[in-house]
Amino acid sequence: MRTRSQLAIICSISLAAAGLTYLISGPPTRSHLCDPATRKSDEICLSEISDPNGILWVDARSRAAWQKNGLPESILWNLDPAEDMQAFESNNAEKIASARLVIIYCGDENCGISRQVAERIRKLDLGPQVIVLNGGWRALRDAGRVRD
Amino acid sequence: MIRIACMLLALATLAQSAPLKFAETLREVHAPADAKTVTTDFTFTNRSNKPVTISRYESACSCMKVEISDAKLRYAPGESGTIRAEFDMGNFSGEIDKTIALWVEGDPKDKPSITLTARVHIPVIVNIEPKTLKWSLNGKANPQAIAITMKDTKPVRITKISSSSENFRHELKTIKDGKSYELVVTPLDLSLPALAIFRIETDCALAKHKTQQAFAVVRKPSSSENDHTR
Repeated sequence: MRTRSQLAIICSISLAAAGLTYLISGPPTRSHLCDPATRKSDEICLSEISDPNGILWVDARSRAAWQKNGLPESILWNLDPAEDMQAFESNNAEKIASARLVIIYCGDENCGISRQVAERIRKLDLGPQVIVLNGGWRALRDAGRVRD
Repeated sequence: MIRIACMLLALATLAQSAPLKFAETLREVHAPADAKTVTTDFTFTNRSNKPVTISRYESACSCMKVEISDAKLRYAPGESGTIRAEFDMGNFSGEIDKTIALWVEGDPKDKPSITLTARVHIPVIVNIEPKTLKWSLNGKANPQAIAITMKDTKPVRITKISSSSENFRHELKTIKDGKSYELVVTPLDLSLPALAIFRIETDCALAKHKTQQAFAVVRKPSSSENDHTR
């Protein structure tokens, strides 16, 4: 009986402490994890980028999202029909041709648009390697590169 | 004991799997060249033994309107419904995937349990191959050609070609009037990196196919082009 009471008290205290922490600090942060060993071959983890020179960042989210919190110096290239696809090509061809590496990000790992944009840029065949950022914008935010 | 644990695990797995079963989660849609919108339906049935509520649904882009049959969100066991996606084609051509994320009650906020994909195929009327001609810096200035082929049943003629750079000479050759052409490009100076954008204007009746682009580039071959060196 004594053991049960002690267990109940310990559980109650733990629960109360957990609840209080949740109320004060909010829900746990789920930061994006990328494992270079298990990522897809056309992706890159943010942690793998050792040389930032010659990288062209492409934001594949909406224009509004890019303007709000896109990576500085990134270019916009999405698949929104309201956008002019030919303008994306002609306005950015020079930047792509002179880049060493083109990295595309969309919202998070579920969005899928960056892979389609990558395919379109690859088809232009302007020279640099074109890859997708694993985790997208969320990975950049978790690394403190962009803000909400 | 082990058997019971396995059964419990199996039951837990079943409980976690999506209760709404879709006939197809990927729909291929072939659109006519002049279509402004295309529509596709995803049908589903609640195969669980509990009512299921769709708590949220989102299209990956503003170009796709999503509607659930009769705006009904709660489905009894065995009950079926339809999710209709209407895609605004804008100025797209070629193949494009558009996704719909679907959350049912109990799904984590950042992880929908169902993702539906509409793969839209939009005919290419003016086909350009290759899209880009490339020369190496300090290499040989050999002429190269871009094949322009009209895929329409009616003839489509090239009315004008303009270049953004004087560093390249270009010449249009008609292979078969209204059907196939060749744009022959020769770089004039390979000592410096250069880029030219060719705007190819046609008399195509469909506005979004009327103007096309091709590129010519002089660049140093990058060592990272063919490997994964970052």
